[in-house]
Amino acid sequence: MSSAAEIRGFVRSRSRRPRSWTDLYSTGLGLAVVAAMLSQPASALLAAIARQADPSRMGAGVALVMLAGTGFLAAARAIGPVTLPPADAAWLLLSPLDRRAVLRGPSGVLLAISAVAGAVLGVGLLAVLGTPDHTGVRLAAAMLLGVAAATGGMAAAVLAQASQTWNTWAGPAIAVAAALAVAVALLGSGAGRRLLAAAASAPPAAGAVLAAMAAALAGLLVRRARRVLDRIPAGTLLDASVGRGHAAGAAVAVEPGSLTWSAEDAHWRGRTLRSRRWPALPAPMAPAWQDWRRLGRRPGRLAVLFATAALPALIARTGGGVLEGMTAAGVKGASGLAGTPGLLGVSLTVGLMLVGGLAAAAASTSGARRDGDNPALARLLAVGPRRILAARALLPGLLGGAWLVAVLAGLTVTGALPAGPWWLLGAAAAPALAAGALRMARRRPVDHAMPVIDTPMGAMPTGVLVWALTGVDLVVLGCLPLAAALLFQPAALGGFLAAQALSGAAVLSVSVLREGRRRRDPL
Amino acid sequence: MSEAIIVTRGVEVTLGGNPVLQGVDLEVAHGEIVAVTGPNGVGKSTLLRCLAGLRTADAGEVAVLGGPPRDEPAFWREVALVADEPAWYPGLTVREHLELMAAVHAGPRMDIGEALESFGLASRADAVPPALSTGQRQRLLLAMTLLRPSRVLLLDEPERGLDAEFRRRLAEILTDYAAEGGTVVMATHDPGLAEAARSRRVALADGRAETTV
Repeated sequence: MSSAAEIRGFVRSRSRRPRSWTDLYSTGLGLAVVAAMLSQPASALLAAIARQADPSRMGAGVALVMLAGTGFLAAARAIGPVTLPPADAAWLLLSPLDRRAVLRGPSGVLLAISAVAGAVLGVGLLAVLGTPDHTGVRLAAAMLLGVAAATGGMAAAVLAQASQTWNTWAGPAIAVAAALAVAVALLGSGAGRRLLAAAASAPPAAGAVLAAMAAALAGLLVRRARRVLDRIPAGTLLDASVGRGHAAGAAVAVEPGSLTWSAEDAHWRGRTLRSRRWPALPAPMAPAWQDWRRLGRRPGRLAVLFATAALPALIARTGGGVLEGMTAAGVKGASGLAGTPGLLGVSLTVGLMLVGGLAAAAASTSGARRDGDNPALARLLAVGPRRILAARALLPGLLGGAWLVAVLAGLTVTGALPAGPWWLLGAAAAPALAAGALRMARRRPVDHAMPVIDTPMGAMPTGVLVWALTGVDLVVLGCLPLAAALLFQPAALGGFLAAQALSGAAVLSVSVLREGRRRRDPL
Repeated sequence: MSEAIIVTRGVEVTLGGNPVLQGVDLEVAHGEIVAVTGPNGVGKSTLLRCLAGLRTADAGEVAVLGGPPRDEPAFWREVALVADEPAWYPGLTVREHLELMAAVHAGPRMDIGEALESFGLASRADAVPPALSTGQRQRLLLAMTLLRPSRVLLLDEPERGLDAEFRRRLAEILTDYAAEGGTVVMATHDPGLAEAARSRRVALADGRAETTV
């Protein structure tokens, strides 16, 4: 019987032309260009981390690095982590070939990806903790620690794919890591500050020992993961590979919308549900109740959603603790954004808040999205589109508004915003977030017939741009008073609050009124 | 003959430069079942889309329930369409889909338990549609369609994915629907279903309709 390597070689020989010296030259040149591009920011970063860090910012910074690592592992678990290209999954996985040999390539890629991600996380950790001395040793230890954590975590994820016992523990372990990050964030500005400061100023040898121990543990996990590769059930690998195929198809066709339904169907296909009585609601609310019920059946998603509401406060604390508006003392006398790092920070935070609010609202618009993509059930229900849209705006408005209220309250409590009823602005922005989320849910697929325009940053396909901005546009328009209030930070919020309530209600009203004029099916 | 519920006169449709319907004349009476037959690509689905108001005829007239069909809620409250599109919401079970339909439409034609039994879905009442087989999903769609009240049923290949036994059951269900005064137009490739439903057969050929049985 042929080996997996021989089969792959055979396939490669039929699908590609033989490699020539020009291929090697192109690859080498490409790598050199990438190295040249990265060298400048890398040296700037190294220069920036060679400093004594501010202890008040350490907790938030360490928490962000921990959350990034946890998110990386959660994403890896959601993807597989071990997957095969669809063709390999179809032809090689269910063949008599040695399973470990078939999976050697994908597992090697996983190891490389986690090593790079770990190195970046390590540098991030050092950037937060600072390097009072021995920068080289501390950098090496931090990178080793990051690589060990990421590769060890990835190995554990592979083990979870192969073993039910590991799989049972993997989810809670990620949740505990996320909770630990939150605890670090909370304690870092209080009781834990001294501990973090001590860790930052510990002798480099201590860091090196810790990194070596982590590397040894990671090595053991990676070795064990390699051994169990052939024990990953074929069904698990096929499911993961189908998901990867959908993702690749969506990327090639630049059609991200197609990915969401396959992920949604895959989620529910594996669940055992118990039917509950449909509440006696008036006609437009009865179909809209579907999103409420769906959300109630995904409490984990709701918990993650509201946990992310702490991120803006964390970022604000890492960046300096105070969001400086245009009237803040630090900005006076400076001209433009380049001269006002505080203003840049507040602009980024406003952008993050609006995108986050939109994402929170969009978590509950699957019904509108389904009706937009496949109106068959909407036709059977025969409810007026305006009435049903108005009913469907309730939940995304509630979720988006609650998320913004939590964010603004967090920023006020941590002192990033001056004292005042900022949270009310979040509640007033809820209708605009609902309107944006519903517009996003009902947008048409990417129109690839739209022109490609040349910009200084390269060719820009306007179809993708329009698709990406559909929904965001309404949120930006409807939340202008909120953004202005955060930028100018006035002493009295009353005027901005009234303007926000008005603009939010206006954007949603116009959105609902225009719905009657939309044709559901262009054919 | 009793009053005509559906009338088409000289309907013409061209798709991508290819003339599909070239003067289709059809009249369907109150309480009648019509089975539109013909090989793939002859225009059966296109004709149903014209009757549903989802496609405008290039020429000719289409009238359903006395007026031109429109893709609007008022029209869909009288007319129900079953086509080859996913018709379920994520995260809801089979029973909840039926309950949703009953909650929206006043005076459902049957209760939920009866619908589950009648369409062979009782054992899958707590399943979500993505976990169902193709045939079971088709049963769910038909159950939702026939649970709600309507005056006209437009069915595009309703036999899709159904086993032989349930096709016979479906014929009975459609016959009962017509006996209650409903009108059915279905495009089908199953002569057995058309015959069991005691339908009038209309064959589409060369873009025209011709009654065969």
